[in-house]
Amino acid sequence: MVVYSFYIFDRHTECIYSKSWLSPAPTSSSSTTTTTTPSGPTSDTHPPLPSSTTTAAPTAAAGTTGRRSAPTTSASSAADNDAKLIFGTVFSLRNMVRKLGGEDDAFVSYRTAHYKLHYYETASNLRLVMLTDTATLSMRNVLHQIYINLWVEYVVKNPLSPVEHKGGAGVRNELFELGLEQFIRGLM
Amino acid sequence: MSVVRIRLTVFALIIINKAGGLIYNRTFHEGLNKVSTNDLLVLAGTFHGVHAITARLNPLKHLQGSGVGPGNRSSTSSTISTAVPGSTQPAPQHQQTHARPEPPSGLEVLETENFRMQCFATLTGTKFLLFTDTTQANVDLTMRRVYDMYADYVMKNPFYQLEMPVRCDMFDRKLGSYIREINNR
Repeated sequence: MVVYSFYIFDRHTECIYSKSWLSPAPTSSSSTTTTTTPSGPTSDTHPPLPSSTTTAAPTAAAGTTGRRSAPTTSASSAADNDAKLIFGTVFSLRNMVRKLGGEDDAFVSYRTAHYKLHYYETASNLRLVMLTDTATLSMRNVLHQIYINLWVEYVVKNPLSPVEHKGGAGVRNELFELGLEQFIRGLM
Repeated sequence: MSVVRIRLTVFALIIINKAGGLIYNRTFHEGLNKVSTNDLLVLAGTFHGVHAITARLNPLKHLQGSGVGPGNRSSTSSTISTAVPGSTQPAPQHQQTHARPEPPSGLEVLETENFRMQCFATLTGTKFLLFTDTTQANVDLTMRRVYDMYADYVMKNPFYQLEMPVRCDMFDRKLGSYIREINNR
């Protein structure tokens, strides 16, 4: 079983958390990036991340060196686009399923030849999405566990966390990151 | 020796043409909501778009940047080397340029709490959606038979116009009796 990536979308359809366990794409322009100045992204308002594997949308290249800044920014914008595409797909499929299977029906997963997407939606319209390899069985309870044991414990019960997680504020805390990392590593 | 009976209920079949238009829909069994034809047309169009997006979302696509993934490459090179053991002429790189990349594949199976949808897209872009119940049964075989019937009774019908709604009596009858046989098993 391989987990490729994980996304959380809030009820305002915004991607508030994304994480990828894939190795970054080997870009052909990596040789030219050594000449670029360490400019970094323009939105450097967030603190550096503890884990460099996180490809969270606006903050990916905040603490990295100049040599790595160019590929990670392109990778982060690609991840950003992927998150939007994933949300669109999941939203359309969910509405389709509700129309066909009734209001109480819930979209669980879909599979293509290359990957499988698992979906879990809470009553408050928080949507958790996970991409895995095709051989994986249903991850619905895993997503449910992430919601109960990580989201509720470390984000909802965090008194410093805002109610609305605009731009992922309050989600990317150390405990949540660590817990998620351990949980997923334990699965793999 | 007891044979395990695999129960399978086929709820409906939908055929979408390569432009995303609904060309056939038929309900075989109660289980899905009644959806008006207008809504079904919208659904077909939506699914057509979603199918294209799901093919693009492949998280491993950067590993297949040149069109040939690591798994494919090893398999093709091994089959080629076994096929022509004596010849020294073909260089591996030369063959990779000839190796055709896998066609991108979109959504194949969609699972929900109440039903399961199997999607089969032909190489020409026609999509067959088979709605069944959630038990994992041999839907591939059923899909294959439906496709055979489509080829036999729709495509070979001289009066059928391509990409237009399917109105073929033979197809309706054969499909009806085949699915009834499955649902009553």
